[in-house]
Amino acid sequence: MFPTSFLSRREVLQTASAGFGYLAFSGLSTLWGQDTTATETAVANPLAPKKPHHGAKAKRVIFLCMQGGPSHVDTFDYRPQLKKDEGKKSGGRGSLLASPWQFQQSGKSGLWISELFPELQKQADQLCLIRSMHCDQPVHARAMTQMHTGTAQFVRPSLGAWTLYGLGTENSSMPGFIALNPPAASSQLYGSSFLPAVYSGTKIDRSRGRFAGAARGESNASLPDIKNPKWSPKQQRNQIDLIQKLNREKLDRDVYQPEVEGVIESYELAFRMQSVVPELMDLSGESEKTLSLYGIDQNATNEFGRQCLMARRFVEAGVRFVEITHGNWDHHFRLSSQLPEKCQEIDKPIAGLLQDLKQRGLLEETLVVWGGEFGRTPYAQNGDGRDHNNKGYTTWMAGGGVKGGFSYGSTDEHGANAVEDKCHIHDWHATILSLLGLDHEQLTYRYAGRNFRLTDVHGNVIDKIKT
Amino acid sequence: MENVLRCLLLFTGTFLTLQVSAILVAQEGAIVVSQEETKPTAEQIQFFEAKIRPVLIEHCYRCHSTESGTVRGGLGVDHREALFSGGASGPAVIPGNLEESILWNAINYVDYEMPPNRKLSPSILADFKTWIEMGAPDPRVNEGVVVHSKVTPEIIEEGKKHWSFQPPKKVHAEAGNFSDWAQTEIDRHVASTWAESGVSPAQDADPSDLIRRLFDDLIGLPPTIAERNQFLIAYEKNPEEAIAKQVDELLGRPQFGERWGRHWLDVARYAESTGQEVDMAFPQAWRYRDFVIDSFQNDKPYDLFIKQQIAGDLIKVDSDQEWAENLVATGFLAIGTKALMEQNPRQFQADVIDEQIDVTTRVILGLSVSCARCHDHKFDPIAQEDYYAMAGIFSSTETCFGGNRTQRIRQPSRLIQLPINDHSEKLTVLATSDRNKLKEELKALEELYEEARRERRTNSNQARNLINVGLLDQLIGQTRGILNSYDEQGKPYSLCMGVQDRPSPRDAKLLVRGEINQPAQEIDRGVVRVLANQPVPISESNSGRLELANWLASRDNPLTARVMVNRIWMHLLGKAIVRETDNFGVSGPKPTHPELLDYLAVEFMDNDWRVKHIVRLIATSRVYRLSSKFDSMQMDLDPENVHIARGNSRKLNAESMRDAILSVSGQIDLKRPERSPIAKMGEVPIGANGPAVLPPGTLTALIGKGNDFSALQKFSSGLRGNAQALQATSYVRSVYLPIARNSLPRSLDVFDFAEPSLVVGERETSNTPDQALYMLNNAFVLEQSDALARKILKQASNRRGQATAAFHQILGREPTESERKATESFFRNADKLSADKLSAGKNKEQSNFQALSQLCQALMCSAEFRIIN
Repeated sequence: MFPTSFLSRREVLQTASAGFGYLAFSGLSTLWGQDTTATETAVANPLAPKKPHHGAKAKRVIFLCMQGGPSHVDTFDYRPQLKKDEGKKSGGRGSLLASPWQFQQSGKSGLWISELFPELQKQADQLCLIRSMHCDQPVHARAMTQMHTGTAQFVRPSLGAWTLYGLGTENSSMPGFIALNPPAASSQLYGSSFLPAVYSGTKIDRSRGRFAGAARGESNASLPDIKNPKWSPKQQRNQIDLIQKLNREKLDRDVYQPEVEGVIESYELAFRMQSVVPELMDLSGESEKTLSLYGIDQNATNEFGRQCLMARRFVEAGVRFVEITHGNWDHHFRLSSQLPEKCQEIDKPIAGLLQDLKQRGLLEETLVVWGGEFGRTPYAQNGDGRDHNNKGYTTWMAGGGVKGGFSYGSTDEHGANAVEDKCHIHDWHATILSLLGLDHEQLTYRYAGRNFRLTDVHGNVIDKIKT
Repeated sequence: MENVLRCLLLFTGTFLTLQVSAILVAQEGAIVVSQEETKPTAEQIQFFEAKIRPVLIEHCYRCHSTESGTVRGGLGVDHREALFSGGASGPAVIPGNLEESILWNAINYVDYEMPPNRKLSPSILADFKTWIEMGAPDPRVNEGVVVHSKVTPEIIEEGKKHWSFQPPKKVHAEAGNFSDWAQTEIDRHVASTWAESGVSPAQDADPSDLIRRLFDDLIGLPPTIAERNQFLIAYEKNPEEAIAKQVDELLGRPQFGERWGRHWLDVARYAESTGQEVDMAFPQAWRYRDFVIDSFQNDKPYDLFIKQQIAGDLIKVDSDQEWAENLVATGFLAIGTKALMEQNPRQFQADVIDEQIDVTTRVILGLSVSCARCHDHKFDPIAQEDYYAMAGIFSSTETCFGGNRTQRIRQPSRLIQLPINDHSEKLTVLATSDRNKLKEELKALEELYEEARRERRTNSNQARNLINVGLLDQLIGQTRGILNSYDEQGKPYSLCMGVQDRPSPRDAKLLVRGEINQPAQEIDRGVVRVLANQPVPISESNSGRLELANWLASRDNPLTARVMVNRIWMHLLGKAIVRETDNFGVSGPKPTHPELLDYLAVEFMDNDWRVKHIVRLIATSRVYRLSSKFDSMQMDLDPENVHIARGNSRKLNAESMRDAILSVSGQIDLKRPERSPIAKMGEVPIGANGPAVLPPGTLTALIGKGNDFSALQKFSSGLRGNAQALQATSYVRSVYLPIARNSLPRSLDVFDFAEPSLVVGERETSNTPDQALYMLNNAFVLEQSDALARKILKQASNRRGQATAAFHQILGREPTESERKATESFFRNADKLSADKLSAGKNKEQSNFQALSQLCQALMCSAEFRIIN
């Protein structure tokens, strides 16, 4: 048998036409000798579902990304000492500002959650707070980049791309990684960098005519080129039939040609996507009750509620990784009036999402992750505002194999720095991968002569938050 | 002599004579941070000891020193490196720059309040002002940290035995049983492994496949029907002669430079914007693109090509023209991604240097040296010292990529002014009246900006404020940029990106774990030791880039020629001899044909490093001509085609695909466009929020009288979204499309375009539904199908003739009988469906045209159009 040492994983991906031409290719695998392993067959279609490294409950992710840095000391990090020390100077960085909002113990677990989240309080027993987050970047864009890719220094694959690379996807009529409403010019946040392009996120922008769409109760969000401007579906099918006839003739002539096989598959898939994607994004079939569960019947929660509901429909259909971005959490000013607005926009939709996932039996297998690129300082800025704080903040997870009603780690008495059971963003990445059954040290990709990881040379899995 | 003059110019900024005029244009608003670490004078040290150190000890050390054990906010002020690299909020002191020094702001109770209990006295503040302005001399350097590498000289000596670190040697090959088959030395090398592995060569490819191969491989375009027929006739008479003639003809076309220049742009991570978070435009990057294309077109010796890119600014020249070209060439080192939002200029510089080391070593040497930034290389005998020997060369170099300081663009730099004016006459001057308008606008914008900032505290609409402040900030940057790109007479400067030597070069310090505030010993500037038989001496007075360039491009370097011929081989044969084209190190794969690789490398160097010579050798070999037709026995013996006994079929890449569509539709514009659409945008962020380019005066009209920005707010949607313009339909060759890192043209992005933030030696080839959606639904494809349909309608009146014409135009052949039937059936259904849609009898002509256009599109969608056998 031919020595396979020349055959890198990268090459396998490439020769398998990095796509959907795996039918002929897997037939060919007999040519590779008896020692063809499961992994070799699996990589033939790089998007085919792959076995994780170890058993895990979570099969997919909904990542609720709060851009701007939500204040943890006003939402999920209850710091009673902050109230007592209100007005005291804090290390020369201005005076401590107590949270203007009350915290309440919620659920059976008694998690402390701010009154800003009345609906999420009711879901407290699903939430697993990580109150000891920290990362290396104090400015927004760079911290966003680190949160998504592990580093702000270089352009690297995103968390979603690594997930898709590690696990493949379950619905071949849908992209495996969808970024809903990503910030402008942020392609590296959902890009694949040196991973093959099939693993990059597919962007679905917020409806362009924001008012027009909302008024009709429709969503204008879409994928590029998902609709033909000229031909009816029947006319297009007629055309595709011709294309496929030509392709099959070529395949007959060439006998063995995985590339052609791949092209044939890609047209069929594209044709299916044209109907499946708009269907999944069309919420008109959802009941009043469901719409209202997500707050789609109210102005403040309509937009984010739609995105949450869409995310549920996507994961239900087998999409591996869905990310939703919700912006404007950067409260340097007017914290007291702005933060409640932001919280209101997401409170009901997220609570609705958690309930809906649960009632459909999806929550156990879906890891819901909430967090911003960093948190905010306990001391005041401009009187009624807080500055960036990457040294201590809170994120939370729910579903997918994490302990509900649980709080992990801690900041200092005022919420300024993570001090106990610290969770660096690398640890956070390692843990998310681990919850999906992926070992962050084994999930590597060879590039520029060495094996790269999402966590570089860092990262410790936080086993304490796992069920 | 020349260097001395140039340095003088750097200091004085005076425009002396054109002959020596590569001066740097300091852009307004650009703050140039001196990385020169000149030794403080005795008086300066005395000042520090008397006025500064006691204050730091008394008021700051308690919370900000290693000794006290507390380093609040990550900031230590107890030694120089800590102070300069700063804490969480960035560097505390930027020598010579009060405004940007956080320490200065903090002791003045701006942003921070330090010391917290009581503000320092005005006289102490004045001392700090003096001290920072004189360059913050500080004798408290971290002495004595020495990192000892585990890579000893013995290990390096041993490491030189690795195959690719040995000089290439030409060995004659014997084709044995296949000597009749073999026609060239390449053939003999390839055939020499066949007997042992039991494979035998495939047939020669069909000439109709071969001509497609040659055209795509050499110029990236499909042959026209006439070109194809001409070749087929010539091939019939004498295949070898036909091929040789065709290859020479294609090598002479300007499209050769465009095709092969693009291969280089892939590895040179060419783009016209910074990428990363800000994605600021590089309006001058196109010059480097054109330089690369011209170099390949003119068959410039590759050694010179390398030297120009690494040290063009330092090469002696005979004319200004030549000098300008050399300066533009150094853009290679400047066009990498830039994290412009980085607050710490030292971190920024360290990352720029790292990127330069990475791209230089991987592209030219096929070796990844930047692994050694934090620790010795894991696999190769490359020590951390080797990295910092190169880092010294690049830290003695100033990187010029442009930019005007704004909130987001925190690390702008200068650009280089060319010694010649290379703008075409068409390029408009900035009229004095427009210049004045812009100046007025700038002033008004700056006032508005201040107002918007103040109002941010009180206005309750946060989103609105963000738009205002952010947008105004960008508009200010844009307006400054426009003003700065013209001289006082309103003539545009001819500027380029690139590098220059700093006035006084200096060795770099090794950084423990690559961290900028953990310096250890200084490392003599130099090159990677395992690759050099003798140390490369570097002069005291230069950065050492010229020495580096000469060493990279010398025959003594064992890698340079091998790496390049390997790339050429891959582009022509589909698979490289060393499969990982950027990894010739110990961890990389061994060459499948080591002697062939060496033969090509020596041949390359012996022939004046001419790329066209190697392309010709390969394209006229019999190996190149092998059919890719499937043969189950050969497939069993060699599934991966390691022995190259058959051809590899390949896919058109992104550019070839788009150019092929435009070629068959007849719409392609083969002229090189002037500059780039990005050249017109100014140095602004590109994206949905990037400011659109507006004629002078527009803003004034929008702003109106007084400081009212509600008008601006009203029009703000029209002021933004400059990325959209980059997607505009264009008929130029794909290599000339604007490449903004975060807003790639969809026509390229969808077909595995080289990620422009990375060195891409070999592109991915994927089959994705997104590609199918693009081909089925994108307006560009539909438009080209229409254009071809219109052309065909003029040539053929009946459907049979039209279908034949479409097959000829797009696939270069007659339809087969069953394809004909399929086409007829397609037409029948199309007629029926359009009859359903249209009211009867209405516009039959139109629906015929539509069906034909649909047929043309179908043929472009076919696998055959995209795959070359």
